[in-house]
Amino acid sequence: MLASVSSLVQTNKRLDTDANIDPRSFEFKKNKFGKPEILWQSDESSMEWPLHFNISHTSSLIACGIAMDTPIGIDVEEKKRKTVKSILSLARRYFTPSEVDYLAKISDSDAQQKEFIKLWTLKEAYVKALGRGFSGAPFNRFSIQLETNSRIQISKAAKVCNDSASGCDYLSENWRFALAELNSSYYMSVCIEDNSRGFENDSVPLGLKVWKTIPFIEDTLVSGTDAVKLIT
Amino acid sequence: MAPIAGSALSFAKPVKATNTNLLSFAGGRKGNAFLRMQPMPMRFAVCCSAKKETVEKVCDIVKKQLALPEGTEVSGASKFSDLGADSLDTVEIVMGLEEEFHISVEESSAQSIATVEDAAALIDKLVAAESPKSQC
Repeated sequence: MLASVSSLVQTNKRLDTDANIDPRSFEFKKNKFGKPEILWQSDESSMEWPLHFNISHTSSLIACGIAMDTPIGIDVEEKKRKTVKSILSLARRYFTPSEVDYLAKISDSDAQQKEFIKLWTLKEAYVKALGRGFSGAPFNRFSIQLETNSRIQISKAAKVCNDSASGCDYLSENWRFALAELNSSYYMSVCIEDNSRGFENDSVPLGLKVWKTIPFIEDTLVSGTDAVKLIT
Repeated sequence: MAPIAGSALSFAKPVKATNTNLLSFAGGRKGNAFLRMQPMPMRFAVCCSAKKETVEKVCDIVKKQLALPEGTEVSGASKFSDLGADSLDTVEIVMGLEEEFHISVEESSAQSIATVEDAAALIDKLVAAESPKSQC
């Protein structure tokens, strides 16, 4: 319970700072799949667009992502997170064949582990942005393509989708991603809906800003510093 | 990085960021809640409670995966949300259970699992479905 309160207090504070709204006016609800959301009043006149948020935790970090007028998913993980099972066995069980191939080609085990964690956080960020839960977007039904120096892409895994009974009805591909390294210790993935309406928008930045917050003590903009290294 | 105020607190019930429709272990030392547990009505009927040996095997797998300190009690009643498994731990535990029991766990069938006992009951059910004679 305490963690929930502290996360919500952080959310409240950040939302207040951005939106000039009394944080006490925020109410929260859950969507039908259990995803926490802001209960947005339709007669809310002080903000033109509804706010969306999403939260992720590791043992020492809470990340809260906030977006205007677009669903958002965020995931953080320690860069050096070790798994008990081997990377490739986890990938074979949960990822798509193309993602397994991508990982299998990496000969250095540390580098392979890092790419796995990157893919893991990206896939989680997408599932959380969709807001339908893990079973609404099973990891093996969509692929994330991570190529150096180009935009992260998501695509449905055609064969799995065609074979499965429910298809991949709820999976959409119009999402944008940001992947960053925080304090050289964490990978952070952010996923928001892509509303570019077909325009070529590689050159349009996501406009990602990152604050380092220690509740009631510090609130510093750190994007643009070494604390936040954008990978894509 | 400066410690977060309150990092000494146990994250017993972090904000639930996503869906209840699946096996999840949010809480304890980590709360990456893409997978998350909360008490839910059972969506499947089990014909009997889980076998003791199944519960024990699940406890072993969970203890190994989470590298719990010596002496940590894990029993049938243990809630996954209290044991501190995050989403990666969760999928590794599921994989471990699949390998140990030669079953395949669908995301949707894991949705009502809250305790070790629930997981063991699901395993017994899946194992029984694989075998020609009823195990109950």
